Amino acid sequence: MFEGWTFKKNLLMKHAGSVFRNLHGGTDSPGQRPPAQTSPLTQASPAGLVFLPRSVMERLVSRLTEKHVLFPASFAVRLALVFYGDHQDRTMVVKYTDIDYHVFTDAARFITEGESPYNRSTYRYTPLLAWLLTPNIYLSMVFGKILFIICDVLSGLLIYRILCLRGLSSETARRVSSLWLLNPLPMGVSSRGNAESILAALVLGTLLCMEGRRLIWAAFLYGLSVHMKIYPVTYALPIALTLRTPETRAEEDTQRWRWMRFIRFIGSFINKELFLFASVAGGVFCMLTALFYYMYGWEFLHETYLYHLIRRDIRHNFSPYFYMLYLTADSRWSQWLGLAAFLPQLVLLLAASWAFHSDLAFSCFLHTAIFVSFNKVCTSQYFLWYLCLLPLVIPRLSLSLKQGVGLLLLWFAGQGIWLGPAYFLEFEGYNTFLLIWLAGLLFLIINCFILIQIITHYKPTQTPQRLKAD
Amino acid sequence: MYFILYIICIATCHCLIEKDEKNENHCGLLKQWLGSSSVSVEISKKGFHREVITTVELSPNVLSGVRVLLVYTWPRGVYIDPYQLASMRDQSDWQILIDSAIDLEVPAHKTSGFVSYVYPSPDGPTPRLLKVTIPIHGRYHEPSSDGELFTSVDIQPPELLLRTEKCLQFNNLEPHTVVDAPCTVNNSSMCPWVKIQSQQEHGPMSLQFPVGDRFLMIPVCGGTLLVTMICCVALSKYMWKHKII
Repeated sequence: MFEGWTFKKNLLMKHAGSVFRNLHGGTDSPGQRPPAQTSPLTQASPAGLVFLPRSVMERLVSRLTEKHVLFPASFAVRLALVFYGDHQDRTMVVKYTDIDYHVFTDAARFITEGESPYNRSTYRYTPLLAWLLTPNIYLSMVFGKILFIICDVLSGLLIYRILCLRGLSSETARRVSSLWLLNPLPMGVSSRGNAESILAALVLGTLLCMEGRRLIWAAFLYGLSVHMKIYPVTYALPIALTLRTPETRAEEDTQRWRWMRFIRFIGSFINKELFLFASVAGGVFCMLTALFYYMYGWEFLHETYLYHLIRRDIRHNFSPYFYMLYLTADSRWSQWLGLAAFLPQLVLLLAASWAFHSDLAFSCFLHTAIFVSFNKVCTSQYFLWYLCLLPLVIPRLSLSLKQGVGLLLLWFAGQGIWLGPAYFLEFEGYNTFLLIWLAGLLFLIINCFILIQIITHYKPTQTPQRLKAD
Repeated sequence: MYFILYIICIATCHCLIEKDEKNENHCGLLKQWLGSSSVSVEISKKGFHREVITTVELSPNVLSGVRVLLVYTWPRGVYIDPYQLASMRDQSDWQILIDSAIDLEVPAHKTSGFVSYVYPSPDGPTPRLLKVTIPIHGRYHEPSSDGELFTSVDIQPPELLLRTEKCLQFNNLEPHTVVDAPCTVNNSSMCPWVKIQSQQEHGPMSLQFPVGDRFLMIPVCGGTLLVTMICCVALSKYMWKHKII
């Protein structure tokens, strides 16, 4: 695990160096070429991290991020990992494949036998996933992993397309996308058999369609992503704020007629685009829910949605609320504490929607990061939900490379400080509950600090002007 | 013709008597043999994931056609992962039958114990020395109210059951008793098995699992809510300050 982090740090240093250097200051308007690159890796090679001459590194980086190299290379590496994982599963005691992949495969097997996928204990996903993975039984066990790595590379491609639409040059966009495509974390997650890449592709697809104003496709993908996992439902508010009719009244009026302004605000939500989006997304979601409810009944609703909403996992996880929920699991305060834990999440999501809705990608990134950090249960799989949106945010950050890497190391350090006592609890039998609790609080503080740094250093493309009254 | 009938009668009776004698021999051997079988249990690994290693030593004069069954009565503080066992099936030479569905995530005080039947070497002859390693996992327990950092879970050694096709008269086998148990792992029928009363009574083995401290409930709740509120206020403040409207 620690080797993976050092490797990721190295990779990020290689690419982020050129990215930060190129994007610092006004390369965001379309058609403008980025300034000539003056050895972007000058800042990226502190002693000990890069072992090749700078010119060689520079050539390697630009070679690697050429269009016909980057995407095939990232797919090839993931494919190699899948085959290596298969080899490790067959020969070593410690398995490469994640337990979730076996859960999906077992559920798919139940479907091929004509039964409900929920016969498989701990299968808590949409039946659509088990249906998608039925070729695991008919063709080969490795089909699901191939599907996941294809979605992973597709996510990288979608990131590249969104960045191009947001005004970056093709080369810079590719370099930023390589932060996802050549990142060992999503590589490892997809090749181990986690289905997070499907959702990443759906969310990024929604954002791409919104950016390109293809509302029907955006609504379709959004409905599908909410069906697969609940958390994208938090994007509904910033999407609604983006699609509503923009205000055109002059400011003088508003001070006198505050209640009229409120009514106008509510009225701005009633427009054709928002109605179209809501009906398509709602229609897709309701149709899928109705179909699977007809096929599998109450169990589908409970395992796919209700379980996640009322989930009270008292076993140790990254959440700051873990120990509190464990100690109060059977007390009469349990429901109130659950509500108290939900309030900061709600307040912050509302604030993030309102403050940043004009930049949808940034708003969604903040939403997801806040949702995961303040959630009652937090496992490392959840980090991918906002990491796939981070490359969209990075081009507009005015952080220096040192600051960026420092924040990244801080994030890893926070995880490491939690993982230590957690290992001793689970595998050595020491009572480290207090340490785990404190490490969870520290991780929350670190996450908030990083988010504050990102918010403070985020520079939107243009300062939006208030349209004056006619 | 009567003479031929007479010969046939004598031959049949002779066979039956021989068979009875053989049976008696087998059953006699069985009783001798039962007394010299022994079971020992050892628990390895630490933390929430342990291994229960059971070693069964059968008498040196092995009767052919003997089947062994180990019956484990597990407390509610631990569980076995049936999916993990299914993936281990290729590498292990024993099979297990569990008497009830196991919830993998529920805490100890909200569930009950269960019984598992382990059939070592189900296909093929039973060797003299058997070793069965079962991975078990500890459940989360209720937080302690008396400041104790650990809770104890007692694992009883398994019951050793034996059965042979060659002796079906289970009388006169004291101190061993006869019980009914599933014949094979398929659980399609029940058979009589002889439960071995071991000479050395092994006591239960005690496992220690960490538990939370209910005494800290108020400071933990207070501390958690305080930190989350402060983080919430700080984030909101910066978001409002740097909003893009």
